[in-house]
Amino acid sequence: MTATSQHGFHPDAESLSAFSEQALEGRERREVLAHLAVCGRCRQAVALAREAADAGDVVAAAQPRKAIAPNAWWKQWRLVWVPTAVVAAFAAASISVYIEHADRHGPNVKIAEQSPPQGPTPAATSSPTEQAKVEPPAAAVPATPPAHPAKHAHSGAEKPMPAPTPPVVGAQMPLEPEAREPGSMDRVEVRREAQQPSHAEAMQTPPELTAGGMRSTASQPASGAWETKHEQAEQQRQAEADTSRMRNFKAKAAPFAVHGANSAPPAGATESVTAAPQFETHPAVTAEPAPMLGNKPFRDVTTPAKPIQLPSGLASVSIASGGHFLLTIDKAGALFLSEDRGVTWERIPTQWTGHAVAVRQQAGDHGSPQAAPAAQNPTTGGSFPDAGVASAPIVSFELSNDKNQVWESTDGRTWTPK
Amino acid sequence: MAPTESAASAAETGIPTGTGAPNCVSDLSLDRALAAELWRGCDAARWGLTRDEFEQILLEAGTAQNFGLTSTATPATPKQQAAFFRNLCVADLALARACARGNERAWEHFIAIYRQPLTRAAIAITGSETLGRDLADQLYAEIYGLNAREGQRRCPLLSYRGRGSLMGWLRTTLAQRHVDHYRRTRREEPIQEFDAPAPDPLPQMPARELSLLEQAIAQAVSSRDPEVCYLLAAYYLDEQTLLEIGRVLGVHEATVSRRLHRATDQIRKHILKNLQRHGMSRRQAEEAMGADTRDLEVNLKKLLQNSQSEAFQEQAAS
Repeated sequence: MTATSQHGFHPDAESLSAFSEQALEGRERREVLAHLAVCGRCRQAVALAREAADAGDVVAAAQPRKAIAPNAWWKQWRLVWVPTAVVAAFAAASISVYIEHADRHGPNVKIAEQSPPQGPTPAATSSPTEQAKVEPPAAAVPATPPAHPAKHAHSGAEKPMPAPTPPVVGAQMPLEPEAREPGSMDRVEVRREAQQPSHAEAMQTPPELTAGGMRSTASQPASGAWETKHEQAEQQRQAEADTSRMRNFKAKAAPFAVHGANSAPPAGATESVTAAPQFETHPAVTAEPAPMLGNKPFRDVTTPAKPIQLPSGLASVSIASGGHFLLTIDKAGALFLSEDRGVTWERIPTQWTGHAVAVRQQAGDHGSPQAAPAAQNPTTGGSFPDAGVASAPIVSFELSNDKNQVWESTDGRTWTPK
Repeated sequence: MAPTESAASAAETGIPTGTGAPNCVSDLSLDRALAAELWRGCDAARWGLTRDEFEQILLEAGTAQNFGLTSTATPATPKQQAAFFRNLCVADLALARACARGNERAWEHFIAIYRQPLTRAAIAITGSETLGRDLADQLYAEIYGLNAREGQRRCPLLSYRGRGSLMGWLRTTLAQRHVDHYRRTRREEPIQEFDAPAPDPLPQMPARELSLLEQAIAQAVSSRDPEVCYLLAAYYLDEQTLLEIGRVLGVHEATVSRRLHRATDQIRKHILKNLQRHGMSRRQAEEAMGADTRDLEVNLKKLLQNSQSEAFQEQAAS
């Protein structure tokens, strides 16, 4: 071996140690290996040293654990935050994706969660304030569809909309926010969108912006004795800020205002914070009495009073309505038709291939020979707050299967491939 | 440090200017940038080593091994020096040399770091706490330089050159001392775990086929490469586990198993070939391979030892 070998003929401790630690390369390693192959003493020394190293590693690894034992629970809990954060991030991402999905296919999702409508509720006279807040959109179907019907369909009474013609029933019958399911995503959206005017109301409505143009005494100091210049300046600043906020809000609502036939605000009305968007976006307040449910001013057919009871006993996955028609698909892919607002259901024989997964409504042109079902039944169509009664668009339905093939029908019974 | 300064410092501190190295320390110089980098990396100032002493240690270690170069004709370039020192455990080397010089702070540092691990290693090697502590204390005394030869303290740490870790060197030194001690004191007794004596040869002469088989086995085993021989010896002679062998070789135990399997297959084929070369048919060779091993006069240990080079004949420790 080398000149520094301890016994002259054996590799020295350093060579053996370096061999054991894989620090030797090439010729030196081969020499030591060749010696180890024939020398039991060195082989045993290497094996013992390796064994001692492993024992030392085990002891060294065990010692730090003892040292941190008093705080081990805390250190472990700190590690728990890592998977917790990952799970939270995943949940947030899932919610975000779900909201996005609901934005894109909002009406379908909403309708699938809702129960069939109850029978027509006797209309009650609502107060002017309620009527002003909740406009029945029955006659508000515009001639031109909105640019983003799905997005519009999310807005309820608090978020004024120009009554679009979305593909499903829920969009044509704007829901009162309170009537929706608590977990419904569009309710969250409505809340979010309605935040601005509500907030503006809460933020001490500027006197000069209140209805009638009168200065509100409620927001005034009780006595002029302690009213200082500073307070007046403060109020002025606040009023300016509210005016600016209102301007911003109107600017956001402006695109919706152009769709309505009566989109112009009442003459001479100095818009209040709450009234302004309603006037802008719900101009088609017709003389038709709004259906009432209890003391609620409006409840449409999609309001889930109770879940849909289909003859198949399965849950409904997709609903569409046109006039007094209701079409729904259950989980098994069977199509059911109801002509009495969901009281009785008739199963439609399968005329399509595959598994039906969705049914939706499509409005056709005015004046078509095939009248919309809702228009053919004036007795129900009059009280039913559905779109198409006033303007009577042709309502046709589309049914799609799991292979994205589409069939269409105008009466819900006869389906032809599209 | 200038070469002349290094030589002067070495003369003052009593550090030998080389252990068998070519007497060219004064002709070589250490690259300043490299020395500064190594000085920063090993943090030797903690145990009281000065920069000059550190550079002197490096220079001495480098010249002793000619900076890892085979040719001594040309001095090592800074790049070669850097490559050489980066393969060394420089911090351990500096500590060992500082301890060998009798630097008290270095000793304190050495004891603080290595005292307990060394004792644990000795206990693990001997399998007994008493014997382990005795072994560790004996090595301590030796390292501290209590042993003197020709009036000079002899510190084993001077033989440490930084090739492996200092702890590994200490463990291997302990293991060597333990094995040597065991062999000296129990030479007459059979060692259970290793070096089992071969059984006495049978009186009767083996049959011709057995003789041919023994020759074939001897040829097959002796022609194996060192790694195969090491695997065979460690597994069949020392009865080490695959895991233990794998740790020594730095491979997984499954790899050891595969190599062993391959080695035995190759040896078998080689034996068959040798038998056929000696005039046996294939069938006869295979029948001969099925002979009872108790009838064979094959001593694997002897075979392996006979296959080694003459330079490594085992000698008793002095």
